[in-house]
Amino acid sequence: MASIDSLQFHSLCNPQSSLGRSKLLIPSSFVVFKRRPKNLNWFQVETSRRFVCKSIGDSSTPDEEIQNTQNDDDDVATAQGDVSRDSENSISRFRSMITNISCDSEGSVLRFRSMITTLPPVIFVMKKCSGNSIWIGICIAATVLVAAIRAYVIRKSRDDRPAGSVADLVRRGQLRSGDRRGISKTLNYEDPFNNPFVKLGKGSTTVEMCGKVYRLAPVTLTEKEQTIHQKRRSRAYQWKRPTVFLKEGDSVPPDVDPDTVRWIPANHPFATTVSDIDQDLAQNNVYQKQGVPFRIRAEHEAMQKKLEALQNEEKLNNLGIDSQNARDFQRPYKFSAKLDDENIQENHTGNSSSEETNKS
Amino acid sequence: MASLRVFSTNHQSPLLPSPLSSKPLLSLPRFVKSHTRQSPIRSVLQFNRKPELAGETPRIVVITSGKGGVGKTTTTANVGLSLARYGFSVVAIDADLGLRNLDLLLGLENRVNYTVVEVLNGDCRLDQALVRDKRWSNFELLCISKPRSKLPMGFGGKALEWLVDALKTRPEGSPDFIIIDCPAGIDAGFITAITPANEAVLVTTPDITALRDADRVTGLLECDGIRDIKMIVNRVRTDMIKGEDMMSVLDVQEMLGLSLLGVIPEDSEVIRSTNRGFPLVLNKPPTLAGLAFEQAAWRLVEQDSMKAVMVEEEPKKRGFFSFFGG
Repeated sequence: MASIDSLQFHSLCNPQSSLGRSKLLIPSSFVVFKRRPKNLNWFQVETSRRFVCKSIGDSSTPDEEIQNTQNDDDDVATAQGDVSRDSENSISRFRSMITNISCDSEGSVLRFRSMITTLPPVIFVMKKCSGNSIWIGICIAATVLVAAIRAYVIRKSRDDRPAGSVADLVRRGQLRSGDRRGISKTLNYEDPFNNPFVKLGKGSTTVEMCGKVYRLAPVTLTEKEQTIHQKRRSRAYQWKRPTVFLKEGDSVPPDVDPDTVRWIPANHPFATTVSDIDQDLAQNNVYQKQGVPFRIRAEHEAMQKKLEALQNEEKLNNLGIDSQNARDFQRPYKFSAKLDDENIQENHTGNSSSEETNKS
Repeated sequence: MASLRVFSTNHQSPLLPSPLSSKPLLSLPRFVKSHTRQSPIRSVLQFNRKPELAGETPRIVVITSGKGGVGKTTTTANVGLSLARYGFSVVAIDADLGLRNLDLLLGLENRVNYTVVEVLNGDCRLDQALVRDKRWSNFELLCISKPRSKLPMGFGGKALEWLVDALKTRPEGSPDFIIIDCPAGIDAGFITAITPANEAVLVTTPDITALRDADRVTGLLECDGIRDIKMIVNRVRTDMIKGEDMMSVLDVQEMLGLSLLGVIPEDSEVIRSTNRGFPLVLNKPPTLAGLAFEQAAWRLVEQDSMKAVMVEEEPKKRGFFSFFGG
């Protein structure tokens, strides 16, 4: 890099960097070009920026060059050649270089400009379409609102659980819970003969039930097949209905087919072979259409008899009491002395006698 | 209300169990894909018409399954109330001796004071043990026993026959339907429940455990002389059927060889309606399962069976504004 002069253009938009650069790199020549359409054909560029043309001599170190190349953000054109002290040669060389540079820089500036124009498109769009954007915004907001309302309604319907919940069990007394006292909604009964929830589809191959469409397939079972199955089962399951129920351990009566005996365990929780009522009596009870039921009537009659008996006893007792009263009235002191004697005897005999009296 | 009727089809199923095999339905075939069916489907929707009652009244229907927890009581409650809504007189008998739940499903648990055991003992008359539903006055509930009482099995089945006879001759007229909710299993309660029945509705789910029990129970019912057996396939999930994780209704039918009374889709509303003691068919807006129960009740009245089944849900066409919920 010792014999190379470099020529660089710097935009003066960044004065600090250019100043720094001028101090470091351009001790000999410092040429300022003002862009003119006549010379440089930069018709497109309308800005009045100033470019610095620098000649970089051998004095610059490689580090500085590296620094320069790193710091330069603008377009850079480098012209190579021998630098003579002849001003004419240098000017002519400069001119040729500048024309080259101008061509290169024209393309770079155009690229830069196009980049700038493409950078802020949103702002331009917003400015251009300000009227439409309001409607677009309204549409977006409305969509979001509808979706939110729908989600809310779905959630609410999920929360509003219909009857049949645990709360209903509490209401019906199946569960004990003080907190859950939900009362179910009143239920209405729809007409079974006018049900719009079942619809037959086109071609009768589908049916719609509760909004869901189901495909139909014909049943293939024939009567012949049914008969075959019946025969198979009749062979497989030889069974006679039990007619006699015996407790386990009982002996089978001689006139009873053992196949028709059903053995009931003595501790069977629901069934028993023991019946405390007569079969005919039970049948009559079932057939009874009106009047007082047999057991109630029987109990009533028994109670009535008992009451009558009691009343009879009471009459006798009353008679007795009268005589006793008479006796008591006649012999009060003797009776009380007799009672005292009995009490003394009971204390001597203990709990056994009291048990006897209780039993009696 | 709509009932689907399809007139079609005689297809030989490739997956039927061997007709010559006398073994019960122990080994069930693998899951199968939906078959290609070429028969045309013709359906007729029935609107605004009361179903025509077929058969002799009272129709005594036992709802059974064998396996527990498949939806017998739910079916009884919903089909029973559907029949009442159609205008028929219905008496539902909860024949589950120890574990009765029908009163809970109907929301009548606080009104059950007397049961059949009290009637037999002579503590009350039969009409006093019948609990009339306030929503539909032509629906009545009768429970066999209280949870802590024992039914003498010596005349358990006979007792139900007496009850049916007594209901036939009651002053206000014979009911159109007597629906008996059968307990699970094939124990003494099952024997009691099926004694007076003329026809049976077998409730099953599309899984192998329920199917094996259902096949066995069907065999017992047939041995007992009940020939009119239809099935309801409960808790069907079309999405699982599509993914071949669940047997299709047609597969179930091929295994059991029974006519289809209804197909009830899995519905979370069932649990809710059970909790509140309000059958699904009374829901407003109606649910899928409720509609299916109504259709099953419709077919029960007319002694009809399904001729077409819903196979899978068609994908919904999403609109342009589906992003916003449109």
